[in-house]
Amino acid sequence: MVKIHFSRKQLCIPYGLFLALFVVIPMLLILFYAFTETVDGTIRFSFANFLNFFTSTAKLSTLLMSFTIAIISTAICLLIAYPLAYILARSKFKKKNVLLMLFIMPMWINFVLRITALRELLDLIGLLGTDNYLNTIIGMVYDFLPFMILPLYTTLEKLDNSYLEAAADLGGNKFTVFTRVTFPLSMPGVISGITMVFMPSMTNYVVSDTLGNFNITILGKLIDQYFTTYDNWHMGSMISIILLVIIFLTMLLTGRFKDENRDARGANLW
Amino acid sequence: MRKQILSTVLALCLAFPFLLLLAGCAAETSLILRVYNWEDYISEPTENDSEYVDLISKFEEEYEEKTGQKITVEYSTFGTNENMYNELQINPGSYDLVCPSDYMIMKMISEGMVEEFSQDFLTNSNYAKYASPYIKDLFEEKGWTNYATVYMWGTMGYVYDPELSETIEEDLSSWSGIWKKEYAEVATIKDSVRDSYFLGVAVAYREELMQLKERFEQGSIDAKAYNDEITRIMNLTDEETLEKTKDALIQLKENLYGFEVDSGKQDMIAGRISINFAWSGDAVYTMDDAEPYIDENGKEIPGIYLNYIVPEECSNIWFDGWVMPKGANTELAEAFIDFLSAPENAVENMNFIGYTSAIAGDRVFEEMIDWYDESADPENRGTDEDGNALVAYDLNYFFNGTSDGEYENGDFIIYVSEESAKRQISAQYPTEDVLTRSAIMQHFDDETNASVNEMWEEVKGLPIPLWAYIAIAAIIVLILVAALSFAYKGKRRNAKVKKGYTVLKRGAQ
Repeated sequence: MVKIHFSRKQLCIPYGLFLALFVVIPMLLILFYAFTETVDGTIRFSFANFLNFFTSTAKLSTLLMSFTIAIISTAICLLIAYPLAYILARSKFKKKNVLLMLFIMPMWINFVLRITALRELLDLIGLLGTDNYLNTIIGMVYDFLPFMILPLYTTLEKLDNSYLEAAADLGGNKFTVFTRVTFPLSMPGVISGITMVFMPSMTNYVVSDTLGNFNITILGKLIDQYFTTYDNWHMGSMISIILLVIIFLTMLLTGRFKDENRDARGANLW
Repeated sequence: MRKQILSTVLALCLAFPFLLLLAGCAAETSLILRVYNWEDYISEPTENDSEYVDLISKFEEEYEEKTGQKITVEYSTFGTNENMYNELQINPGSYDLVCPSDYMIMKMISEGMVEEFSQDFLTNSNYAKYASPYIKDLFEEKGWTNYATVYMWGTMGYVYDPELSETIEEDLSSWSGIWKKEYAEVATIKDSVRDSYFLGVAVAYREELMQLKERFEQGSIDAKAYNDEITRIMNLTDEETLEKTKDALIQLKENLYGFEVDSGKQDMIAGRISINFAWSGDAVYTMDDAEPYIDENGKEIPGIYLNYIVPEECSNIWFDGWVMPKGANTELAEAFIDFLSAPENAVENMNFIGYTSAIAGDRVFEEMIDWYDESADPENRGTDEDGNALVAYDLNYFFNGTSDGEYENGDFIIYVSEESAKRQISAQYPTEDVLTRSAIMQHFDDETNASVNEMWEEVKGLPIPLWAYIAIAAIIVLILVAALSFAYKGKRRNAKVKKGYTVLKRGAQ
């Protein structure tokens, strides 16, 4: 009997293929489209899209608004999720997994359905159509809250109680223990949550379209418009690249915290 | 070595599912017609209602009966003209028949992307026989007769709830009606550049358009000159027009309930909004669904009667038509159009889609009498059951010359009550005056398109609300404070290390 043995290299082939076909080649294509333009049917290298983005009032204000909406949504998510995750993780309640599941469960229901339901709800209480920005932010928070709770809960749950006891022993009151020990140690969860909420809030235009009655344009919507209605793949790709750079920069900034807390890395679920 | 090859092969097998996905389908023996149409744009049985005729399989059966050859229709759908166009650019020759809108047809003809219809089809088909002469003349004048046939057509206007205010009918007889503060947060317009641009231009050039109308009514210009001038104005894209249109639309945006893609119909029916800028076909659908009716259990379901109005300044006549992309199987494509152009099939389509077919003919007219005519006596029309005189709704411009002998030219009149004349029928078939002031929107070239899109982006993206500026300022301040305190803390921590202590690097133990 021949014993079949896969070498590591061979086991990588399926993933390698996947990586090449669906990650590397598309990325290269986007780069190619972003730095070219079509003039009279011929494609040529150009920086026009780049310049256009940073000189167009409409695009810059869209960028600014997406950014603001995303930051506000993330901040609200954090404000709601942190106390919740903290209480949940520290509580002695035996069935806390059930509680956690109740918060996470919405994630398993299709979000378009949830947003449509929220639209009806907002209509019922008379908010729909009055303040589109507020509605969009409500939608984003509602939609992405579980993504904030989960990493926070995992970090806080894994927090070694002996650290807190040691801090208390050394004379720290509850507030000091929290600000000097608990919060810094939960930073990886916070960062992970922020990235999980911030990025989609900048692009998830189903939320802004449904709840803002198409009054609000965010970056994701702009990209969609360039590909589907304006028929300009070059500009669409350029905006995607700019978004990518923004996200990359945020990661770079937040990455510092992660390295400092190497031990707690397991919390970084995503 | 052999073992290594074997395991490589096995590893490749793991990737096999991907390859399967990429592989094509098995070959078919029957003829294949590949049709690419809008979603929900042909009669087919639906989950809720299986009564609708399945026109695609009916065509397959009829074709086999006629020619003895089996045919399969591969039917796929698209969501926007641009998606369809891109698909054709990427995979040329992948469809035999597509159904773009007016401006896209223009673009495709000008780019030489479409096949010409055969002489036989143009002179001797159901389309040649039953398509309304009004539509055919319009196409002849534009020079598109050989390249495209009209499937559905209509106008643009406002659907509104007449109960909303006393003066609503008068207010909405101008496009600028929804700019009024009175109608704040009750109206929606389309989230589409082309349609909303039209609306913006109509309001920006309201004075010019009204002057033209006056001159036409006084008789100093004829209908054709009037229409040409409207078409010219509505297709202006110079910088000044763009600026004026942008201002008008931004102003409107503040007064709107919102923009919509497809939710306008539902929002009207649910009463969330009371005015909707709509395509005539959607208007018919909305009015039908909003009406009160009696369900199968005899229970009365309440509803509202909505009206449709085409404002005085001008309107847009739009159409979706069949074209055959280069490389298409023109024979099969023509057979399919011929089938759809048979009046009985056109009726099925109108019934299902709610839009107005370009096909006239006795069968279609009879159906319209059945739908709309309120005469008490079919022999002696003109008065209703209570003896009230009805309004004569003249459709001769559309139906004349398409009868198989049942009707004479001039007979094509439907009698409706004054209220009904403002409802479905006015959207289904615009009157001749409305058509006199309806312009065809042209296709914009790439450069114009870019600047119109830029204008639209500004309409959608501006203005930035005040609170956003405050929020941004607050965020910047917060970030600065955080950064400063971080830097300061770092300094203090280093300074705190006292002489004589060894600082252990983290992880050194």
